[in-house]
Amino acid sequence: MSRIMVIAKATMLENARKQVFHVVTLITLTIVCASTMLSFFTLGVQVKMLKDLCMTSLLFCGGLLAVALASTSLPNEIENKTCYPILARPIRRTELLLGKYLGSLFTVYLGLAAISIVFAVLLATKQALDVNLILSIGFTLLEVAVIAAISTCLSTFTTPAIAAMLSFIIYVAGTVKIGYFKPLVDQVTNPATGFLARAVYHILPNLESFNFKDALVHNLKVPDAYLIQVAIYGILYCVLMLTIGAYAFSRREL
Amino acid sequence: MIPAISTTNLTKVYRLPRGVRKTAVESLTLEVKQAEIFGFLGPNGAGKTTTIKMLLGFVKPTAGSAQIMGIPIDRTNARADIGYLPEQPYFHKFMTAREIISMHAALIGIKRSERKQKIDEVIEQVGLEEIARTPASKLSKGQVQRIGIAQALIGSPSLLILDEPTSGLDPLGRQQIRDLLLDLNRQGKTIFLSSHLLSEVETICSRIAVLVKGRMAAIGTPNEIKRGGERTAITVAGELPSELIVRLGYLSADIAHSEGETVITVESHQIYELIDTIREYNLPLVSVMPIRETLEEAFLRLAA
Repeated sequence: MSRIMVIAKATMLENARKQVFHVVTLITLTIVCASTMLSFFTLGVQVKMLKDLCMTSLLFCGGLLAVALASTSLPNEIENKTCYPILARPIRRTELLLGKYLGSLFTVYLGLAAISIVFAVLLATKQALDVNLILSIGFTLLEVAVIAAISTCLSTFTTPAIAAMLSFIIYVAGTVKIGYFKPLVDQVTNPATGFLARAVYHILPNLESFNFKDALVHNLKVPDAYLIQVAIYGILYCVLMLTIGAYAFSRREL
Repeated sequence: MIPAISTTNLTKVYRLPRGVRKTAVESLTLEVKQAEIFGFLGPNGAGKTTTIKMLLGFVKPTAGSAQIMGIPIDRTNARADIGYLPEQPYFHKFMTAREIISMHAALIGIKRSERKQKIDEVIEQVGLEEIARTPASKLSKGQVQRIGIAQALIGSPSLLILDEPTSGLDPLGRQQIRDLLLDLNRQGKTIFLSSHLLSEVETICSRIAVLVKGRMAAIGTPNEIKRGGERTAITVAGELPSELIVRLGYLSADIAHSEGETVITVESHQIYELIDTIREYNLPLVSVMPIRETLEEAFLRLAA
């Protein structure tokens, strides 16, 4: 475990220096700060708008950074040959993969932590903070972990550009899976196409399930059983993606 | 004693597009003994780096087997006691030499309390004291090379696999690294050295293997690799009397005169007969030298 954390720390330090991290985080912080200027609404609506805009920004920032950082982290290590002295040590490739994954994830979390703190401070000036805020942010972090796991998995057998593009497509498709993809699948009449569409539908992660923005905006109570179910789903999806990635990476010639 | 490295029929075939197969290493069988400096030579594309990559588990052999300290190379613990310097080492550019070495120290499980002392030791060994806290991005190629050697030395591994260790270093730096390698060898470390600098290999290696087109072309001590010794050159001061030149004709000697000296080359078994003849004429003897290939000549012969 300590070896994974050593690699994760180095990855985090490397990622935190990347321009994409600074730019996306700063833009999101600007949007979050600007959302307080919605003064033309009544206070109740203002708060709802603030929550909605900030959570959407947080989710988008997290998704974008997860794709950008996780899909390039491992391939860059291979391309720059910085992995050679590391893998010449008694270190398994799975440990390197997990280290790169966690390093990328922690970098995204660093950016999201800064944005969440600003968001929470802004919200606290309007109303008392409730448990739904922690819940929403917590499950956003889990969603980001799923996206990063998908990107890391894809980066083990494709180029960084293809991995980033595919990850982004999966991120968008996973976000609209229930709302848009399900009705489309139901409309398919051809058995072969229908089978393929259903297969894609089931393989795609249901990223909407991690979104508790509505519960936060409208102060709704989410059943505990559902939260546990979603948490298990997210963790299992991450484990599955990382297992596939580890298998592909173990067979790869460096 | 278990060999430090042993390979048996180690083969690597790369599959290229359109079904093309390229054999990078073919049936390589070699044994590197513990506590020796073993030179691994070969022209570009001979399969040296592929062999090292197979030994370190970066690529899987197509056939054959290999062990490091008796442990099969597909096991992670085969790399437990290795220090590796890749050809043109790359490190995270934002890290300083100290941070890079510290990361590697942590990766091999050196305790935090011992880390500082061990890092200081290797930094001193490779002469990095003055630039230890400078980011790698601001260092020269030679300085990065020294970081590479330092990270390979951390943890005091008993086997060092070094791919072009003096690449990018100035003559003084090369000398320092050569001395360091000899010193490490005296401490009982095994050094597997891949290099293009033949003079360097000849100076420090106890045995050499020459790889050509993926196959082992020669293996042995530098003197075993180099051909020659069949003929010997005797140098005498001054010119030879014409009578002696006639007598030397019977020995099929080659005679060359330059700068006040005459070099007479004969078959090595005729050397005592020649010396007796020269003594008769009271000619001052300057040197007696067996004619042997240089390692470079041997390398060119094998590579051809």
